[in-house]
Amino acid sequence: MDYSRQTILPQWDEAAQQKLKNSKILIVGAGGLGAAILPYLAAAGVGQLGIIDGDRIEASNLPRQVIYSESQIGSLKAEVASAYLKSRYSELSLVSYTAFLNETNASEIIQNFDLLIDATDDIATRYLIDEVCLAAGIPWVYGSIHQFEGQVSVFNFNNGPGYRDLFPIQSRSAITCSEAGVLGPTVGLIGMLQANEALKIIAGIGVSLSGKLLIYNLLTNSQDIFEISKKQANPSEEHKFRPSFISIADAIQSQAILLDVRTFGELPEVVHKRNIQIPLAELVDRWQNLDLDQELVIFCQSGARSAQAAELLNGLGFQKIKLIKGGAKELAEKLIYEKDIS
Amino acid sequence: MAKVKYFGILAENVDQAQEEVKVDSENLEELVAQLKEKHSLEAYDFQIAVNRKIILDLSVFKVRDSDEIAFLPAFAGG
Repeated sequence: MDYSRQTILPQWDEAAQQKLKNSKILIVGAGGLGAAILPYLAAAGVGQLGIIDGDRIEASNLPRQVIYSESQIGSLKAEVASAYLKSRYSELSLVSYTAFLNETNASEIIQNFDLLIDATDDIATRYLIDEVCLAAGIPWVYGSIHQFEGQVSVFNFNNGPGYRDLFPIQSRSAITCSEAGVLGPTVGLIGMLQANEALKIIAGIGVSLSGKLLIYNLLTNSQDIFEISKKQANPSEEHKFRPSFISIADAIQSQAILLDVRTFGELPEVVHKRNIQIPLAELVDRWQNLDLDQELVIFCQSGARSAQAAELLNGLGFQKIKLIKGGAKELAEKLIYEKDIS
Repeated sequence: MAKVKYFGILAENVDQAQEEVKVDSENLEELVAQLKEKHSLEAYDFQIAVNRKIILDLSVFKVRDSDEIAFLPAFAGG
Protein backbone atom coordinates (compact mmCIF):
# COMPACT_ATOMS: atom_id res chain seq x y z
CA MET A 1 0.00 0.00 0.00
CA ASP A 2 1.28 3.47 -0.89
CA TYR A 3 0.57 5.92 1.94
CA SER A 4 2.66 8.74 0.41
CA ARG A 5 -0.28 11.19 0.19
CA GLN A 6 -0.64 10.81 3.96
CA THR A 7 3.04 10.83 4.89
CA ILE A 8 3.80 14.03 2.94
CA LEU A 9 1.52 15.86 5.39
CA PRO A 10 3.72 17.90 7.74
CA GLN A 11 1.76 16.55 10.74
CA TRP A 12 1.59 12.93 9.52
CA ASP A 13 5.07 11.54 8.87
CA GLU A 14 6.41 7.99 8.48
CA ALA A 15 6.53 7.65 12.26
CA ALA A 16 2.80 8.45 12.48
CA GLN A 17 2.09 5.91 9.74
CA GLN A 18 4.09 3.32 11.68
CA LYS A 19 2.16 4.09 14.88
CA LEU A 20 -1.05 3.47 12.95
CA LYS A 21 0.35 0.23 11.56
CA ASN A 22 1.13 -0.90 15.13
CA SER A 23 -2.31 0.04 16.47
CA LYS A 24 -5.28 -2.15 17.29
CA ILE A 25 -8.69 -0.46 17.21
CA LEU A 26 -11.99 -2.01 18.26
CA ILE A 27 -15.18 -0.74 16.59
CA VAL A 28 -18.23 -1.53 18.69
CA GLY A 29 -21.16 -1.68 16.27
CA ALA A 30 -21.09 -2.18 12.51
CA GLY A 31 -24.20 -0.14 11.72
CA GLY A 32 -24.43 3.42 10.39
CA LEU A 33 -21.43 4.87 12.23
CA GLY A 34 -19.40 1.66 11.92
CA ALA A 35 -19.97 1.44 8.16
CA ALA A 36 -18.46 4.92 7.83
CA ILE A 37 -15.58 4.46 10.27
CA LEU A 38 -14.37 1.00 9.24
CA PRO A 39 -13.39 1.55 5.57
CA TYR A 40 -11.60 4.83 6.29
CA LEU A 41 -9.52 3.42 9.16
CA ALA A 42 -8.72 0.28 7.14
CA ALA A 43 -7.68 2.35 4.11
CA ALA A 44 -5.54 4.70 6.21
CA GLY A 45 -3.39 1.75 7.34
CA VAL A 46 -4.52 0.64 10.81
CA GLY A 47 -2.69 -2.56 11.78
CA GLN A 48 -5.60 -4.40 13.33
CA LEU A 49 -9.34 -3.74 13.42
CA GLY A 50 -11.78 -5.51 15.71
CA ILE A 51 -15.46 -5.50 14.76
CA ILE A 52 -18.11 -6.50 17.25
CA ASP A 53 -21.80 -6.65 16.37
CA GLY A 54 -24.38 -9.40 16.84
CA ASP A 55 -26.82 -7.84 14.40
CA ARG A 56 -27.82 -9.02 10.94
CA ILE A 57 -28.19 -6.83 7.84
CA GLU A 58 -31.74 -5.60 7.22
CA ALA A 59 -33.19 -3.87 4.15
CA SER A 60 -33.79 -0.71 6.21
CA ASN A 61 -30.03 -0.49 6.97
CA LEU A 62 -28.92 -0.18 3.33
CA PRO A 63 -29.66 3.56 2.74
CA ARG A 64 -26.93 4.49 5.25
CA GLN A 65 -24.83 1.37 5.91
CA VAL A 66 -23.09 1.63 2.57
CA ILE A 67 -20.66 -1.28 2.92
CA TYR A 68 -23.56 -3.78 2.71
CA SER A 69 -25.52 -4.84 -0.36
CA GLU A 70 -29.03 -6.14 -1.08
CA SER A 71 -27.82 -9.71 -1.56
CA GLN A 72 -26.39 -9.71 1.99
CA ILE A 73 -29.68 -9.07 3.81
CA GLY A 74 -29.92 -11.54 6.69
CA SER A 75 -26.14 -12.03 7.01
CA LEU A 76 -24.19 -11.10 10.15
CA LYS A 77 -22.82 -7.55 9.94
CA ALA A 78 -19.53 -8.34 11.71
CA GLU A 79 -18.76 -11.14 9.24
CA VAL A 80 -19.77 -9.21 6.12
CA ALA A 81 -17.90 -6.05 7.21
CA SER A 82 -14.81 -8.11 7.97
CA ALA A 83 -14.93 -9.88 4.58
CA TYR A 84 -15.46 -6.52 2.80
CA LEU A 85 -12.32 -5.05 4.38
CA LYS A 86 -10.27 -8.24 4.01
CA SER A 87 -10.90 -8.30 0.24
CA ARG A 88 -9.60 -4.74 -0.11
CA TYR A 89 -6.71 -4.39 2.32
CA SER A 90 -4.39 -7.41 2.32
CA GLU A 91 -2.11 -6.12 5.10
CA LEU A 92 -4.96 -5.44 7.52
CA SER A 93 -5.47 -7.86 10.39
CA LEU A 94 -9.14 -8.37 11.30
CA VAL A 95 -10.92 -9.88 14.29
CA SER A 96 -14.69 -10.13 14.19
CA TYR A 97 -17.04 -10.96 17.05
CA THR A 98 -20.57 -11.93 16.06
CA ALA A 99 -22.05 -10.99 19.43
CA PHE A 100 -23.14 -7.83 21.20
CA LEU A 101 -20.74 -6.32 23.70
CA ASN A 102 -22.02 -7.25 27.15
CA GLU A 103 -20.88 -7.48 30.76
CA THR A 104 -19.64 -11.03 30.27
CA ASN A 105 -17.44 -10.49 27.19
CA ALA A 106 -16.48 -6.77 27.41
CA SER A 107 -13.33 -6.90 29.58
CA GLU A 108 -11.84 -9.86 27.76
CA ILE A 109 -12.40 -8.37 24.29
CA ILE A 110 -11.50 -4.74 25.02
CA GLN A 111 -8.15 -5.50 26.67
CA ASN A 112 -6.83 -6.74 23.29
CA PHE A 113 -7.05 -3.23 21.78
CA ASP A 114 -5.33 0.17 22.17
CA LEU A 115 -8.38 2.26 21.35
CA LEU A 116 -12.12 1.72 21.12
CA ILE A 117 -14.63 3.51 18.91
CA ASP A 118 -18.25 3.52 20.01
CA ALA A 119 -20.53 3.02 17.02
CA THR A 120 -23.43 1.55 18.97
CA ASP A 121 -27.02 2.72 19.14
CA ASP A 122 -27.50 1.95 22.78
CA ILE A 123 -26.89 4.10 25.84
CA ALA A 124 -26.47 1.23 28.32
CA THR A 125 -23.61 -0.17 26.18
CA ARG A 126 -21.88 3.23 26.38
CA TYR A 127 -21.87 3.07 30.20
CA LEU A 128 -20.41 -0.45 29.94
CA ILE A 129 -17.72 0.74 27.48
CA ASP A 130 -16.92 3.65 29.80
CA GLU A 131 -16.58 1.39 32.81
CA VAL A 132 -14.43 -1.26 31.11
CA CYS A 133 -12.21 1.28 29.30
CA LEU A 134 -11.60 3.12 32.59
CA ALA A 135 -10.60 -0.13 34.32
CA ALA A 136 -8.37 -1.15 31.38
CA GLY A 137 -6.90 2.34 30.79
CA ILE A 138 -8.05 2.48 27.15
CA PRO A 139 -9.26 5.71 25.51
CA TRP A 140 -12.47 5.67 23.47
CA VAL A 141 -14.13 7.84 20.85
CA TYR A 142 -17.84 8.49 21.38
CA GLY A 143 -20.29 9.24 18.59
CA SER A 144 -24.05 9.33 18.60
CA ILE A 145 -26.93 10.60 16.51
CA HIS A 146 -30.29 12.24 17.03
CA GLN A 147 -31.91 12.87 13.64
CA PHE A 148 -29.77 15.62 12.00
CA GLU A 149 -27.58 16.18 15.05
CA GLY A 150 -24.52 14.25 16.14
CA GLN A 151 -22.42 14.22 19.30
CA VAL A 152 -18.70 13.39 19.33
CA SER A 153 -16.22 13.24 22.20
CA VAL A 154 -13.10 11.42 23.36
CA PHE A 155 -13.21 9.76 26.76
CA ASN A 156 -10.66 8.33 29.17
CA PHE A 157 -7.76 9.85 27.24
CA ASN A 158 -4.74 11.21 29.14
CA ASN A 159 -6.66 11.13 32.42
CA GLY A 160 -9.53 13.11 30.83
CA PRO A 161 -13.20 12.72 31.68
CA GLY A 162 -15.39 9.73 30.85
CA TYR A 163 -18.95 9.33 29.57
CA ARG A 164 -20.14 9.19 33.20
CA ASP A 165 -18.59 12.60 33.85
CA LEU A 166 -20.61 13.98 30.91
CA PHE A 167 -23.85 12.16 31.67
CA PRO A 168 -23.79 10.97 35.33
CA ILE A 169 -27.42 9.86 35.07
CA GLN A 170 -28.36 7.24 32.48
CA SER A 171 -30.94 8.84 30.18
CA ARG A 172 -34.42 7.34 30.19
CA SER A 173 -35.54 9.41 27.24
CA ALA A 174 -32.99 9.04 24.42
CA ILE A 175 -34.22 7.34 21.26
CA THR A 176 -32.35 5.44 18.54
CA CYS A 177 -32.16 5.99 14.77
CA SER A 178 -34.79 3.32 14.15
CA GLU A 179 -37.20 5.30 16.33
CA ALA A 180 -36.14 8.86 15.50
CA GLY A 181 -35.15 8.53 11.82
CA VAL A 182 -31.81 9.36 10.17
CA LEU A 183 -30.24 10.19 6.79
CA GLY A 184 -27.02 8.54 5.61
CA PRO A 185 -24.85 11.68 5.48
CA THR A 186 -25.49 12.35 9.19
CA VAL A 187 -24.05 9.02 10.35
CA GLY A 188 -21.40 9.30 7.62
CA LEU A 189 -20.18 12.69 8.83
CA ILE A 190 -20.23 11.83 12.53
CA GLY A 191 -18.43 8.54 11.77
CA MET A 192 -15.78 10.50 9.83
CA LEU A 193 -15.25 12.83 12.80
CA GLN A 194 -14.81 9.75 15.03
CA ALA A 195 -12.35 8.11 12.61
CA ASN A 196 -10.41 11.38 12.46
CA GLU A 197 -10.24 11.64 16.26
CA ALA A 198 -8.94 8.04 16.36
CA LEU A 199 -6.17 8.82 13.85
CA LYS A 200 -5.16 11.95 15.81
CA ILE A 201 -5.01 10.02 19.10
CA ILE A 202 -2.91 7.21 17.58
CA ALA A 203 -0.44 9.61 15.97
CA GLY A 204 -0.49 12.12 18.82
CA ILE A 205 -1.30 15.08 16.58
CA GLY A 206 -3.72 18.00 16.73
CA VAL A 207 -6.16 18.78 19.51
CA SER A 208 -8.55 15.98 20.44
CA LEU A 209 -12.10 16.28 21.72
CA SER A 210 -11.03 14.95 25.12
CA GLY A 211 -12.84 16.99 27.76
CA LYS A 212 -15.16 18.46 25.13
CA LEU A 213 -18.52 17.53 23.66
CA LEU A 214 -19.01 18.48 20.00
CA ILE A 215 -22.57 18.77 18.73
CA TYR A 216 -22.88 19.09 14.94
CA ASN A 217 -26.22 20.00 13.41
CA LEU A 218 -26.42 19.03 9.73
CA LEU A 219 -29.65 20.97 9.11
CA THR A 220 -28.04 24.27 10.06
CA ASN A 221 -24.33 23.36 9.74
CA SER A 222 -23.79 24.75 13.22
CA GLN A 223 -21.16 23.32 15.53
CA ASP A 224 -21.13 23.79 19.28
CA ILE A 225 -18.35 22.61 21.56
CA PHE A 226 -18.99 22.29 25.29
CA GLU A 227 -16.39 21.81 28.01
CA ILE A 228 -16.84 18.78 30.24
CA SER A 229 -15.64 18.83 33.84
CA LYS A 230 -14.26 15.74 35.49
CA LYS A 231 -15.92 14.71 38.73
CA GLN A 232 -13.25 13.91 41.26
CA ALA A 233 -13.61 13.02 44.88
CA ASN A 234 -10.19 14.43 45.78
CA PRO A 235 -8.83 16.47 42.88
CA SER A 236 -5.89 17.72 44.94
CA GLU A 237 -4.82 14.26 46.01
CA GLU A 238 -1.75 13.16 44.08
CA HIS A 239 -1.52 9.58 45.22
CA LYS A 240 -4.39 7.39 44.26
CA PHE A 241 -5.54 4.93 46.91
CA ARG A 242 -4.67 1.39 45.87
CA PRO A 243 -6.90 -1.06 47.74
CA SER A 244 -6.07 -4.74 47.98
CA PHE A 245 -8.24 -7.46 46.47
CA ILE A 246 -10.06 -10.31 48.18
CA SER A 247 -11.39 -13.50 46.61
CA ILE A 248 -15.14 -14.05 46.55
CA ALA A 249 -14.84 -17.10 48.82
CA ASP A 250 -12.79 -15.17 51.41
CA ALA A 251 -15.18 -12.21 51.20
CA ILE A 252 -18.17 -14.45 51.95
CA GLN A 253 -16.38 -16.07 54.90
CA SER A 254 -15.20 -12.74 56.34
CA GLN A 255 -17.24 -10.47 58.57
CA ALA A 256 -16.91 -7.59 56.13
CA ILE A 257 -19.84 -5.58 54.79
CA LEU A 258 -20.37 -6.43 51.10
CA LEU A 259 -20.88 -2.98 49.63
CA ASP A 260 -22.68 -3.01 46.26
CA VAL A 261 -22.07 0.31 44.46
CA ARG A 262 -24.14 -0.55 41.40
CA THR A 263 -27.29 1.39 40.55
CA PHE A 264 -30.53 0.02 42.02
CA GLY A 265 -32.11 -2.58 39.76
CA GLU A 266 -28.88 -3.75 38.08
CA LEU A 267 -28.78 -7.50 37.68
CA PRO A 268 -27.91 -9.97 39.07
CA GLU A 269 -29.34 -9.15 42.47
CA VAL A 270 -26.93 -10.03 45.29
CA VAL A 271 -28.76 -11.25 48.39
CA HIS A 272 -26.72 -11.61 51.55
CA LYS A 273 -27.20 -10.62 55.18
CA ARG A 274 -24.07 -8.44 55.11
CA ASN A 275 -24.89 -6.80 51.76
CA ILE A 276 -25.48 -3.02 51.63
CA GLN A 277 -26.26 -1.23 48.37
CA ILE A 278 -25.28 2.40 47.91
CA PRO A 279 -24.92 3.38 44.23
CA LEU A 280 -21.61 5.13 43.44
CA ALA A 281 -23.40 8.37 42.51
CA GLU A 282 -25.10 8.47 45.94
CA LEU A 283 -22.07 7.45 47.98
CA VAL A 284 -20.88 11.00 48.52
CA ASP A 285 -24.21 11.80 50.27
CA ARG A 286 -24.83 8.47 52.00
CA TRP A 287 -21.41 7.31 53.21
CA GLN A 288 -22.45 8.15 56.80
CA ASN A 289 -24.58 4.98 56.70
CA LEU A 290 -21.31 3.04 56.84
CA ASP A 291 -19.18 2.46 59.92
CA LEU A 292 -15.63 3.83 59.64
CA ASP A 293 -14.21 0.89 61.62
CA GLN A 294 -16.11 -1.84 59.80
CA GLU A 295 -14.25 -3.79 57.15
CA LEU A 296 -15.70 -3.14 53.67
CA VAL A 297 -15.56 -5.34 50.58
CA ILE A 298 -16.73 -3.33 47.59
CA PHE A 299 -18.12 -4.76 44.36
CA CYS A 300 -19.90 -3.62 41.19
CA GLN A 301 -20.33 -5.20 37.77
CA SER A 302 -16.79 -5.10 36.38
CA GLY A 303 -14.62 -3.38 38.98
CA ALA A 304 -14.42 0.19 37.67
CA ARG A 305 -17.06 1.70 39.91
CA SER A 306 -15.85 -0.20 42.98
CA ALA A 307 -12.35 1.22 42.41
CA GLN A 308 -13.82 4.74 42.27
CA ALA A 309 -15.90 4.05 45.39
CA ALA A 310 -12.81 2.78 47.24
CA GLU A 311 -10.92 5.95 46.36
CA LEU A 312 -13.81 8.15 47.45
CA LEU A 313 -14.29 6.32 50.76
CA ASN A 314 -10.57 6.31 51.48
CA GLY A 315 -10.59 10.08 50.99
CA LEU A 316 -13.35 10.26 53.61
CA GLY A 317 -11.27 8.35 56.15
CA PHE A 318 -12.18 4.70 55.51
CA GLN A 319 -9.11 2.47 55.81
CA LYS A 320 -10.43 -1.11 55.91
CA ILE A 321 -11.40 -1.37 52.24
CA LYS A 322 -10.94 -4.30 49.89
CA LEU A 323 -12.16 -4.88 46.36
CA ILE A 324 -13.68 -8.14 45.28
CA LYS A 325 -11.89 -10.23 42.63
CA GLY A 326 -14.58 -10.48 39.95
CA GLY A 327 -17.97 -8.80 40.01
CA ALA A 328 -21.59 -9.07 41.03
CA LYS A 329 -22.24 -11.94 38.62
CA GLU A 330 -19.55 -14.20 40.10
CA LEU A 331 -20.53 -13.20 43.66
CA ALA A 332 -24.23 -13.94 43.06
CA GLU A 333 -23.35 -17.31 41.49
CA LYS A 334 -21.13 -18.26 44.43
CA LEU A 335 -23.78 -17.23 46.97
CA ILE A 336 -26.41 -19.32 45.22
CA TYR A 337 -23.95 -22.23 45.02
CA GLU A 338 -23.13 -22.07 48.71
CA LYS A 339 -26.75 -21.42 49.70
CA ASP A 340 -25.36 -18.76 51.98
CA ILE A 341 -28.42 -16.57 51.49
CA SER A 342 -29.95 -15.34 54.70
CA MET B 1 -32.06 38.40 28.30
CA ALA B 2 -30.30 35.05 28.54
CA LYS B 3 -30.14 32.91 25.40
CA VAL B 4 -31.31 29.30 25.83
CA LYS B 5 -30.49 26.56 23.28
CA TYR B 6 -32.10 23.13 23.23
CA PHE B 7 -30.46 20.11 21.59
CA GLY B 8 -31.59 16.69 20.37
CA ILE B 9 -34.96 15.43 21.50
CA LEU B 10 -35.43 18.50 23.70
CA ALA B 11 -35.49 20.79 20.66
CA GLU B 12 -38.49 18.84 19.36
CA ASN B 13 -40.37 19.53 22.56
CA VAL B 14 -39.97 23.28 22.53
CA ASP B 15 -41.36 25.63 19.86
CA GLN B 16 -37.92 26.84 18.82
CA ALA B 17 -34.50 25.29 19.33
CA GLN B 18 -33.42 28.65 20.69
CA GLU B 19 -35.19 31.24 22.82
CA GLU B 20 -34.41 34.27 24.91
CA VAL B 21 -35.59 34.35 28.48
CA LYS B 22 -35.69 37.07 31.04
CA VAL B 23 -33.63 36.06 34.03
CA ASP B 24 -35.93 36.54 37.02
CA SER B 25 -33.90 34.39 39.29
CA GLU B 26 -30.14 34.42 39.50
CA ASN B 27 -30.09 30.79 40.57
CA LEU B 28 -29.49 28.35 37.71
CA GLU B 29 -31.34 25.46 39.34
CA GLU B 30 -34.52 27.55 39.70
CA LEU B 31 -34.27 28.88 36.15
CA VAL B 32 -33.86 25.34 34.77
CA ALA B 33 -36.86 24.17 36.82
CA GLN B 34 -38.97 27.00 35.36
CA LEU B 35 -37.97 26.13 31.78
CA LYS B 36 -38.55 22.42 32.42
CA GLU B 37 -42.10 23.18 33.53
CA LYS B 38 -42.73 25.68 30.72
CA HIS B 39 -41.78 23.13 28.02
CA SER B 40 -42.93 19.96 29.82
CA LEU B 41 -39.42 18.49 29.94
CA GLU B 42 -39.85 16.72 33.27
CA ALA B 43 -39.49 13.24 31.74
CA TYR B 44 -36.13 14.03 30.12
CA ASP B 45 -32.58 13.72 31.42
CA PHE B 46 -30.04 16.31 30.32
CA GLN B 47 -27.03 18.31 31.37
CA ILE B 48 -26.87 22.08 31.51
CA ALA B 49 -24.06 24.18 30.09
CA VAL B 50 -23.58 27.89 30.68
CA ASN B 51 -21.40 29.74 28.18
CA ARG B 52 -20.36 26.35 26.75
CA LYS B 53 -19.17 24.90 30.02
CA ILE B 54 -21.14 22.02 31.56
CA ILE B 55 -22.23 22.87 35.09
CA LEU B 56 -22.23 20.03 37.61
CA ASP B 57 -23.86 21.79 40.55
CA LEU B 58 -26.73 23.99 39.37
CA SER B 59 -27.73 25.00 42.89
CA VAL B 60 -24.68 27.18 43.49
CA PHE B 61 -24.48 28.72 40.00
CA LYS B 62 -25.59 32.33 39.45
CA VAL B 63 -26.97 33.16 35.99
CA ARG B 64 -26.39 36.55 34.43
CA ASP B 65 -28.53 38.20 31.80
CA SER B 66 -25.89 37.86 29.06
CA ASP B 67 -25.33 34.12 29.60
CA GLU B 68 -25.95 31.42 27.01
CA ILE B 69 -27.58 28.34 28.53
CA ALA B 70 -27.66 24.98 26.73
CA PHE B 71 -29.85 21.95 27.43
CA LEU B 72 -27.85 18.85 26.46
CA PRO B 73 -29.45 15.42 26.37
CA ALA B 74 -27.51 12.21 25.60
CA PHE B 75 -28.07 10.97 22.03
CA ALA B 76 -28.57 7.27 21.46
CA GLY B 77 -28.52 6.57 17.71
CA GLY B 78 -25.68 5.22 15.68
